[in-house]
Parts: sequence; C-alpha cells; structure tokens
Amino acid sequence: MVLEATMICIDNSEWMRNGDYAPSRFQAQADAVNLICGAKTQSNPENTVGVLTMAGKGVRVLVTPTSDLGKILACMHGLEIGGEMNLAAGIQVAQLALKHRQNKKQQQRIIVFAGSPVKHEKKMLEMIGRKLKKNSVALDIVNFGEEDEGKTEKLEALLAAVNNNDTSHIVHVPSGPNALSDVLISTPIFTGDGEGGSGFAAAAAAAAAGGVSGFEFGVDPNLDPELALALRVSMEEERARQEAAAKKAAEDAAKQEKGGEQPASSQDATMTERASAATSEAENKTTDLMDDENALLQQALAMSMDDPAISHDVKDTDMSEASASDPELALALQMSIADSTKDQASQSDMSKLLADQSFVSSILASLPGVDPNDPSVKDLLASMQNQPEPKEKNDDKPSDEEEKK
Amino acid sequence: MSGESASAIHKGQVDLLDFIDWSGVECLNQSSTHSLPNAIKQGYREDDGLHLESDADEQLLLYIPFTQVVKLYSVVIKGPEDEGPKTVKLFSNKEHMGFSNVSDFPPSDVANLSEENLKGKPVLLKYVKFQNVRSLTIFIEDNQSGSELTKVQKIVLHGTTVETTDMKGLKKIEDH
Repeated sequence: MVLEATMICIDNSEWMRNGDYAPSRFQAQADAVNLICGAKTQSNPENTVGVLTMAGKGVRVLVTPTSDLGKILACMHGLEIGGEMNLAAGIQVAQLALKHRQNKKQQQRIIVFAGSPVKHEKKMLEMIGRKLKKNSVALDIVNFGEEDEGKTEKLEALLAAVNNNDTSHIVHVPSGPNALSDVLISTPIFTGDGEGGSGFAAAAAAAAAGGVSGFEFGVDPNLDPELALALRVSMEEERARQEAAAKKAAEDAAKQEKGGEQPASSQDATMTERASAATSEAENKTTDLMDDENALLQQALAMSMDDPAISHDVKDTDMSEASASDPELALALQMSIADSTKDQASQSDMSKLLADQSFVSSILASLPGVDPNDPSVKDLLASMQNQPEPKEKNDDKPSDEEEKK
Repeated sequence: MSGESASAIHKGQVDLLDFIDWSGVECLNQSSTHSLPNAIKQGYREDDGLHLESDADEQLLLYIPFTQVVKLYSVVIKGPEDEGPKTVKLFSNKEHMGFSNVSDFPPSDVANLSEENLKGKPVLLKYVKFQNVRSLTIFIEDNQSGSELTKVQKIVLHGTTVETTDMKGLKKIEDH
C-alpha cells in the first residue's frame, strides 16, 4: 500500500523480435507491463505509473506518471520494434519524469526491462545507481532476453549501487515454458516488498494461466475462508481415501468391493459429496466385473464385514469439519460413527444393517444387474438373518452417543 | 528603534524545535542507520553517540517544514571536526528540492562553518532573508576534510514565530 510513482522502461529494440518467450519477447514484455500497471494502481488508488521506451529513435516518454490505467494500457498499442536500447539514458529520463511528478509525497520507483545486451560500462551504471540512491529512487530490474556476457554482472552492480534497504530488486527470467508475467508475479516486483499486492497477484495468476496460482485451489482464504477450508479438507479426505483404496487393492486385487462400499455410502447419504469419490471408484470396478455378479456379490458382502473399519476412519476425519457447519449432518455422522466405534473390534454396523432384510433387499434391487429373486441372493439374505441380536444393542447406542455430544 | 526591536526579538528567540512539522521532514542521501531525527529531535541530538550521516556521497539535503510561519535568527550545527559540514546553504520556502536543482536558485544564506561553529557556536543568519519562513531547506555541500561521508551531530534552529512576535513588537512600539 505504499504511495508510489513508477516509471516503467520498456525495451523495444530489435532483440525483442525473438520468439524464445512466447509469443515474442516484446509481447511477453507488454503483458508483464500491463500486469504491473494493474497491480500498482490497485494496491493504492493514488499510485501513478508512467511508461517510456528506451530504443527506437531515442528514449521517448509514452505517458507521464498517471493513475489512469486506461491511458497507460492504450499507449502500449502500436509500439514499434527497432533500434538499440539505451539503458543509461532511459533511466535518467525516467528519473527526470519522476522528479516532476505531481504528488511529491509519492515514493519514486523505476522498473527496467533489460532484454537486449547492455553496452554501457559497469562504472557508468554504478554512477547512475548512486545518483538514484542519492535521490531516493528505487530501481527494479527485469533481466530477460539476451544472455550477454557481463550483462548479469553489470546489472547486479547497478542494483548494488542503487539498493537502499532492500527497496530495489533484480529478477532474472530465463526463456522457457513459463510466461514472463507469470514468473514476475511471484517476485517482490509485484508483491511490493512483501505485502500488499498478494491479493491482486493471486487473482491475476488465476486469471492469466489458470495453472500456477498464488493460493491453493485458486481460492483466496481471505475472500472465502469457508470455501478454502472445505476444499482443503476434501483434498485431505480424498488422499486418505485413496490410501485406503490402495491398501484394499493391495490386499485383494481381483475382488469386487462395490457391495461393501455402496451400503456404507448410502448410509451416509448426507455426505454424498465426500463419498462420491469412493463410490465412483467402486462403480468403476462394478462395470468391469458385471459378468460374475452373484459370486462376487457374496465375496463383496463378506469383504464388507472387514471394510467398514477403513471407511469409517475416513468418516471420522469428515465429522469434525461437518459438525462445524451443519448440525443435522453432524447428527447423522455421529450416529454412523457411534456404531462403528462400538463395533470396530468384531462386528460392524454393516452386518447389522445387512441383517435387516428389507434394507438389504432394497439395496440389492438398486444394484444394477442384481435380481433380488435370484436364489443365491436369497440364501445369502437368509444367512444374514441369523444375527438379529447385535442389531438391538446397536439401536440403543446411537441415542446414548447423541445425548453425550 | 530598529536596535530596540532587534534586541527585543533577540531576547524572544526560541528553539524552533516545537514548530517543526514532523510529518513533512525529509532528508535526501541520509544513511538508513543514521538518520535525520538523530540530529534534530530532542534527546537524540544531545546524545553524541547518535548522528546524522550521509550515504552515497558527502552531500545532504534536509527539508524542514514548520507548522506556522517563523522568523529564523540563528542556527547551530554541531559535528565532528573532520567529517562535519563545511559549506551549508540555506533556502527558505523552497519545497521539494533535489540535488539537481540546488544550484538553480541562489541560497537565502550561505554558512561556512568553522571549528567553533562545529562545537556549538551559533551562526547568525541574514535575518532579513528569513522573515517569513514556512519551510527551510538545508543543503550541506561538503565537509571539513573532504571525506566521503558527512556527519552531523546536532542541528538547532533559533528564531521566533510570527504571530507572537507581532504582539510583542506592537507593545514595544507603543512604549516609545
């Protein structure tokens, strides 16, 4: 939020025709300039930005420091490439333009895009740097484009001469897949000495590439903390679930887990989003092994006796987050967890539910390709009925757990 | 009459420290560790361990605005023998000067500091030039030994404020 007047020095020399920065060096530079102008004017409405070109026929000021973003962006159009960059003259003219700024309270800053070779002597650059420091002008250097021998050294020397308390920075941007502006967004040039511009930077990053984002999940925790939290939690659950699935897969590669997973997920109907990943996993396996459903179904049901322990762990992590937001959801979760905590050792509520024949038959009816009237399925259901007692115990427990919590 | 009014004003001169507008005080080419408050502020300036130091070269440009219009009578600049300031130019009511335009205007006064001055002897200024001062710019051009750094330990400004002086002045005139 520092009140600042900035002059941006653009390199529009012949070296900028090169395409090693997509689409061309000059275009990458123009994008970066647009972003910087936006960031500066947004971080403080009284900030002013001016632009000048260093090559061409000579140093030319395109727009004097102004807070009108439209004017600045407009002047970037129709720029011609040609000539050689005159770094020293460019910086000096920038300093002069800043001296005549309207609001004398603004801090002075020059941002230089050095894309072509630097033909000045190191001594001369150091003198310029000292003069800038004396007049308390900060300097940011973007070293990109041509990798001339000694260029880096000269620019570093210039920075050392100017730098006063780390207000000046240099950024070296090698050519590569990343756009120039994306690389710059994470540098102090954008973030303004470690504060201020991060919000804009995150938004710009999300808009620009859609890839690298300042914040996880592309959501700013400042703007929407609940959403950011929910996204983070679901990511963790997904990881936990994937680990569990990997474990299961390791234990029995060919077995079908759909039967076990689906009752578990339907039981937690309110948590469909979180269980959706698990069900989709299960459903994928379902489609693959549709042929031998009945045999596999039996295996799956047997498996589900062991499985719920794992899936309940996943539910445990969900509970703490969900109870914060939705009391009804919390209640449902508590019921399911109450069952699991009591019975994890031997029995699971899965088997209790499966003992409820009507429930099981309704589940089986919903499963694609399974006919409840199939004799093998009926036999299985009959075996389930031999465990009626544990179910009654289970009914008392959820109410106890509810009252406690 | 002028002598009497001069002596009356001389008696009434105060340290203008209280009338400095601190929000607008600026100093160009000062070192970040040894800054202007060390030389001007009450308490800091008395401490010989704290001083104002120049950074990139030996010149310093100080800008001191006042909360009201003042008349400047004399100035005390204390510093070390060799690195203390030598040629000091004062500009009245020139805002936001830079090193590039110090030579564009003639200074309101120039002080060539001697060793005694550096020990605390006040420099009497051309009073007529400083009758109506809203802001003061002090340009320290070089130092005693010509070294790369200039050090200043204390700067005190003596003078009077315009409003209060006028009342006293009127009274004196009526008496005679």
